[in-house]
Amino acid sequence: MDWASFFQSFANGLLIAGLYASVTLGLTLVLGVMGIVNFAHGEMVMLGAYNAFWLFTLLGMDPLLSIAVSGLLLFFIGLLIYRFTIRPILKDPPLNQLLLTLGISIFLQNLAMILWKADSRSVITSYSGMSLHLGMVHVGLTRLLTFLIAVGLTILLIFFLYKARSGRAMRAVSENNTASWLIGINVQKTYLLAFGVATGLAGASGALVSTIMYTFPMVGFKIGLKAFCILVLGGLGNIPGALFGSLVLGLTESFVGTYVPEGSGWAEGISFILIMIVLMIKPTGLVGTRRE
Amino acid sequence: MIRSFSWKKAIFLVGLSIFLLWYPKLADPYFLHLTVAAFLAMILSSSWDILARTGQVSVGQAGLFGIGAYTAALLYNWVHLSPVLGMLAGAVIAGIVAAFLGYLTLRLRGIYFSITTIAFAEALSVIWLMTPGFAGGAMGLSTPPLFGGNREQAYYLILGLLALVIAVIWMIQSTRLNFAFTAIRENEEVASVMGINPTRYKVLAFMMSAFFTGFAGGFYSHYNTYIIPYEVFGLGISIACLVMPIFGGLYTITGPIIGTAVIKAIEEYLRVTISYGHQIAYGLILVMVVLFMPEGLVGVWRKKILPLFKPELKNP
Repeated sequence: MDWASFFQSFANGLLIAGLYASVTLGLTLVLGVMGIVNFAHGEMVMLGAYNAFWLFTLLGMDPLLSIAVSGLLLFFIGLLIYRFTIRPILKDPPLNQLLLTLGISIFLQNLAMILWKADSRSVITSYSGMSLHLGMVHVGLTRLLTFLIAVGLTILLIFFLYKARSGRAMRAVSENNTASWLIGINVQKTYLLAFGVATGLAGASGALVSTIMYTFPMVGFKIGLKAFCILVLGGLGNIPGALFGSLVLGLTESFVGTYVPEGSGWAEGISFILIMIVLMIKPTGLVGTRRE
Repeated sequence: MIRSFSWKKAIFLVGLSIFLLWYPKLADPYFLHLTVAAFLAMILSSSWDILARTGQVSVGQAGLFGIGAYTAALLYNWVHLSPVLGMLAGAVIAGIVAAFLGYLTLRLRGIYFSITTIAFAEALSVIWLMTPGFAGGAMGLSTPPLFGGNREQAYYLILGLLALVIAVIWMIQSTRLNFAFTAIRENEEVASVMGINPTRYKVLAFMMSAFFTGFAGGFYSHYNTYIIPYEVFGLGISIACLVMPIFGGLYTITGPIIGTAVIKAIEEYLRVTISYGHQIAYGLILVMVVLFMPEGLVGVWRKKILPLFKPELKNP
């Protein structure tokens, strides 16, 4: 066995898993707190990526700096989406929330198609080509930075959820929203903030996406689909599960890419196969128990 | 449920049937083609609605549509099976795949099903792109024109299929199935207490839905003479399948039909004005319907327009 290529694929899988985690955590947060699966989450990533691309192309802003801009922009877009579309139908059957977010997703995908055409665009910075050698493995600088920032964002979110007052309110609401209301938590405000934080995180992840992948109108759909797969892998709405699921998907894709003939093409279909396997053996997800 | 026989309705139905049978003689080829496309879409949206009656949202009808399309095209290319039999084979295979997929996912909360269907269609698209030796890959497959290019015969075939779908939905509405589906949609726990096995009925509904969607796929591949994976397994078809019936009004016979007719008309207009991203209308319609007209066009008609003409309906 060729250990160099084994470790190389392991490293590649790990690096991409960081990005998957930061995308999926937002999805998990909204699902956990409000019980809504946001189908438009991927499109928030797409908008974040386009924002970073245009800031780089028009103003020459470094994509790693535009993470903050993308994050803030999508935070506010998220607040607007919540206030004007989701809040009015919070009490509707879950079906309506699913359809609403799906509608927003289709709308944004096609809007991007009309505004920016179907072209694949990429951000090439002065340090794009650089890579580091760590023993047998060599790692692209951009990928490494992306990974570190994604992990940083993830840690920041977890810290926020456990230490900050409003973060703890989110966890309380996700446990039981009526009881939270009874002890004086403003549930509406918590929902609003959770949605904004989740879309902001997606926007920031989008800026990361623009540095290591092509940016095109369907990029959000592709990544969103992977995030859904991770959601199923980890069990709906639980954060450790989402982290573990990201790792499983990232590594599986990477190993399939290396060891299966024409694997990089097949890797795109892995999410579905993983979903089916998990549903067959353990529908509640690979880790822990499912929370309702 | 409508049990009472009304002369008005009977005369309307007979008149409509005569018109539809006579139609190919009246319409010019362009309109005939549009009508065939619209009927095909009506089959897709009505069959999506069959499943929706149990409260499940499929976001991957394109997977079943593509299976039907490829089965029909492949059977023709391999053994020159007659196109109509090929479509039937496509329908049956789509139904079997739906049984398998449904058995795994429909016992869980609805969201698992929606996520799995969306991934299912994408995975099929990947498989087809990666196996060019088996089914043409990205280049797609082609078949000779259906009925030697005779549009009239194609029209009668799709009209017959649409009539069959409507007959099946009518049968669902007027038998015990209607109570089972509605009970499951309203509250699954209560339904199982009443002695209904929710999973079994949901799988049944999904299989019926898949059968007609697969048949429509087979028809499409022969009628269009050319299929590529990006299109037949594409998100566009899955989206169309669900937006059209929701726009028209769910759980009715007329809703999906009317919703499809209106959307197809809008789409034909948009296709000419903006070529890329015309599905933006689907997204907008979906959001608007959920927010402002949850019962679709049929609901607007019943609640807002009908009372204008018949004031006695205002306070039932």
